[in-house]
Amino acid sequence: MEELILKLKKEIIEVLNLEDVKPEDIDSNAPLFGAEGLGLDSIDALELIVLMEKNYGIKLQDPNQGKEIFKSINVMADYISKNRTK
Amino acid sequence: MQEPEHSEWSGRTDGTPFMQKALIVLFKVVPLEVIYAIMALVVPFYMLFNHKGYIAIYHFFRLRLGKKPLSAFWHVYRNHYAFGQVVLDRFATYAGKRFKLTIDGNEHYQHLNEGEQGFMMLSSHVGNYEQAGYALVSDRKQFYALVYAGESATVMSERGKQFVGSNIHMIPVQADMTHLFCINKALDDGNIVSMPADRCFGSAKSVECQFFGAKAEFPLGPFATAVQKDVPVLAVMVMKTSHRSYTAYVRPVKCDRALSRKQQMTALAQAFANSLESVVSHYPHQWYNYYEFWNGERV
Repeated sequence: MEELILKLKKEIIEVLNLEDVKPEDIDSNAPLFGAEGLGLDSIDALELIVLMEKNYGIKLQDPNQGKEIFKSINVMADYISKNRTK
Repeated sequence: MQEPEHSEWSGRTDGTPFMQKALIVLFKVVPLEVIYAIMALVVPFYMLFNHKGYIAIYHFFRLRLGKKPLSAFWHVYRNHYAFGQVVLDRFATYAGKRFKLTIDGNEHYQHLNEGEQGFMMLSSHVGNYEQAGYALVSDRKQFYALVYAGESATVMSERGKQFVGSNIHMIPVQADMTHLFCINKALDDGNIVSMPADRCFGSAKSVECQFFGAKAEFPLGPFATAVQKDVPVLAVMVMKTSHRSYTAYVRPVKCDRALSRKQQMTALAQAFANSLESVVSHYPHQWYNYYEFWNGERV
């Protein structure tokens, strides 16, 4: 799981172009959206949806499910490990 | 997942629900031209009370189009009158009246409509985009329009009635970002997604473009979506050409796909701004962004 979390952090930094952020700067339990965590917004959310599909073969189509999955890096990684097809 | 609301524009049609419903009834019995004539008398009062909007449009004619003060004032009046006409046309349509619509660049739409891939149609606050919904109809794809969730119940309800039984669906922008999943699925399924590309709503991120000789902020969202989903983009501007007719200008919005993703988003935004400028140059009275659009003119 730790390996997947690190990989996920690197992918997020790359696709979201977070130039000054390093994987170790991201708290795996912190919220991804809003002022408290990474401070992502709706444009970034779509990028994460596309990332899940391209890199892990997971199609997120239920908005309610999506809101839960994007709570934190840990929640995302847990969902990926259970549902990935790639 | 919460996002701030835009502070410079309300994003909803003016008037109380009663006034909006009364207009729809009125159009069933009174000719359009008579209502236009009454509206022409009301416009000066509207200009007087909509001071912020008046100044913004005055700046547009003075600073961007180089009009002299008196001339700019006259153009502001014509702009408000033209805006009143398209608002009235919207309610006339709800009352069952139809306008003639000519499509310039229909081949671009048909080419994408016939393909399997989904695509995006970008609108802007010029002319009367809603009329496109009655003419650019797809027999193969579903059409999803991203709309401001704060629009009045009357407008949403009447708009909905017009499209009952059609393949047109509304996606209201939600603070919890659920609209993104709808956009993603619509494009994955090869459908059409339409969204405004001249005002920031949802994400506050923007991209600076050269527009009418000065720098202005365009929302990043529509262009980021196109790049993220790797789908083609059309700019669609529906302009009023006479009392009873409109012309829809359909223009492809393209950029060099060899650029980095971030560069592609910026290049797409600039290409859209160029298309918009080209059309608005011919119809400056149909520019309806009633706030200081250009960076240097914000106070």
